[in-house]
Amino acid sequence: MTTALENVDLRVGQGELFGVLGPNGAGKTTLIKILVTLLLPTSGEALVDGLDVVRDYKHLRSRISMVSGGEQAGYGILKVREQLWMFSQFYGMNSKAARRRIDELLERLGLAEAANKQITGLSSGMRQKMNLIRGLMTDPRVLFLDEPTVALDVGAARDVRSEVQRWMREDPTRTVILTTHYMQEADELCDRVAIVNRGRIVAEGAPRALKESVDEDVIVDLQLDPGTPLLDLLRAIEGVGAASVREEDGVDRFSLLLADDAILPRVMTTVESAGRRVSGLVRRQPTLEDAFVKLVGRSMTEEEA
Amino acid sequence: MGIVMPRQLIGFAAAVRLGWAVSSNWTRPILFVTYAVLRPISVALILAVMYSVITHNAAAARPYLAFLIIGTAFWSFIQEGVSEFATGILEDRGRYHILKYTYMAPLGFPLFLVGRATSKLASAAASVVIVLVVGTFALQLSISPLRIDYPLLIAACVLAFISVIAFAITLSMVLLAGKDTHGYGEIMAQFLYLFSGAIFPIAVLPGPIAWLAALSPLPYWLELCRRSILHGQVYQMFPSLSDGEVLLRLVIATAGTVVLGYVIYRWTDRRARGLGYIDMEANW
Ligand SMILES: Nc1ncnc2c1ncn2[C@@H]1O[C@H](COP(=O)(O)OP(=O)(O)OP(=O)(O)O)[C@@H](O)[C@H]1O
Ligand SMILES: [Mg+2]
Repeated sequence: MTTALENVDLRVGQGELFGVLGPNGAGKTTLIKILVTLLLPTSGEALVDGLDVVRDYKHLRSRISMVSGGEQAGYGILKVREQLWMFSQFYGMNSKAARRRIDELLERLGLAEAANKQITGLSSGMRQKMNLIRGLMTDPRVLFLDEPTVALDVGAARDVRSEVQRWMREDPTRTVILTTHYMQEADELCDRVAIVNRGRIVAEGAPRALKESVDEDVIVDLQLDPGTPLLDLLRAIEGVGAASVREEDGVDRFSLLLADDAILPRVMTTVESAGRRVSGLVRRQPTLEDAFVKLVGRSMTEEEA
Repeated sequence: MGIVMPRQLIGFAAAVRLGWAVSSNWTRPILFVTYAVLRPISVALILAVMYSVITHNAAAARPYLAFLIIGTAFWSFIQEGVSEFATGILEDRGRYHILKYTYMAPLGFPLFLVGRATSKLASAAASVVIVLVVGTFALQLSISPLRIDYPLLIAACVLAFISVIAFAITLSMVLLAGKDTHGYGEIMAQFLYLFSGAIFPIAVLPGPIAWLAALSPLPYWLELCRRSILHGQVYQMFPSLSDGEVLLRLVIATAGTVVLGYVIYRWTDRRARGLGYIDMEANW
């Protein structure tokens, strides 16, 4: 039997926007499913808003809601407003108040014109916004967002993020737990994040604090023309804390964490002896991604060996 | 399932509306005509014609013909309530990806399911009436709306309604707690068809199966439907029992179904949640 989560010990404060960061299969969704009472933990204890997710699940359910990204959720033949209203009723909301709130949220997320459209006819961005409205309209104490912007275009993702931020500002006692594998999203949105890898928490703290963990390092971006594989060779160099690569516009962009400047000549020697040509080199400020690579040993998008 | 509070009542009403909008066939007339009218009528008529050929249309065979038609007409309840409904719940999970959200809602999942099933059973009731009317004219059965014992019929159908709903929501959870359960709802309905006394008396079943069938509420319900519609002119499965005695058995069997259904529901709910199947993406 595989264990999806192990020794996860987390505490999220009221009013926090907390991020759970991790690559595919890290256990983010599993964690959320346990917290929203969809999955029973095999061992351990979890409290949400002071209620035990196993014993008090019935009371807990009226205080939380969840929105998952990357799925086409919704009864296709219902209209947007109709489906939202039905969910408001499952939460026992007053019908009139619910309609007002739904219209207000539709308006704010730019869906007012789609309110009477069938859900089948929505783009995936519109559907995701509709789902966000479903999560927000019941005014949960804790809102769970599982990759809320995955597969959205830049504009829709920005709308979703800013609505979440606005909702948090509206009432400082609200709490959001959000999973993502977009580093920038976590950096921009979250008060604190936990980095999860293979079911374990490898780091936890404010994005700025995590970035400080790579402050001592020299961070270099190397741009190389395509050629023989280089990543393992670079990682083998003493003083290279971490290395990652992504292909972009036909060139390989390497990010290197070096213990100090003196390592750079060794890196260049390795690159040249592999016959690769350097087309760009910059030294830059650390990002959350760099902290992640240093902690996990690989980038978010890199497949596990 | 807890006490029904006003908050839960409005949620329940919304679940009824949802079932109506999403899966009651009559919002799509062609589907309604095909599944709730043409299908049961053809089943009833095929059986009736087969039976008439075998019995050479003898007058003595009339009571059994009526038995057959009333049995198949009321069968729509099981077809819609069990098979179609349980399939609908799997659709909510696999096709609409929305089951996890209704499952999490404070309304409570069992109450949601009851609401969602209600419109199915209402459309099944329409189908029952249509099949009875068509069957009466086509086969010249002596059914008259003025001679029906309505109190008995309604009492029997209310109890059957409770059993079917209990059975349907339990079956839904059983299917949700299994891995590749698509299509099992249909198989279950066929299985019940055989030992509910819909097309032949349960006494002709082999010993242990007949005994099992006698524990189910369905034969008593169908017996009461037949008696209330055609007193004395229809073949009886339980000739030694009075109407009151059949009704009593139906009450007991219904109570048993509800209790057993609740126990199984609780157990399979824990299983589904333990395995994380409530939001499973496969299975569609
Ligand atoms: N119901 C289940 N039973 C057993 N293992 C499961 C189940 N669901 C997921 N897993 C496994 O648990 C691990 C964690 O999966 P999870 O979906 O939580 O990851 P994730 O971090 O959300 O990944 P992604 O970014 O792909 O969404 C994976 O190895 C997955 O295969
Ligand atoms: Mg996930």
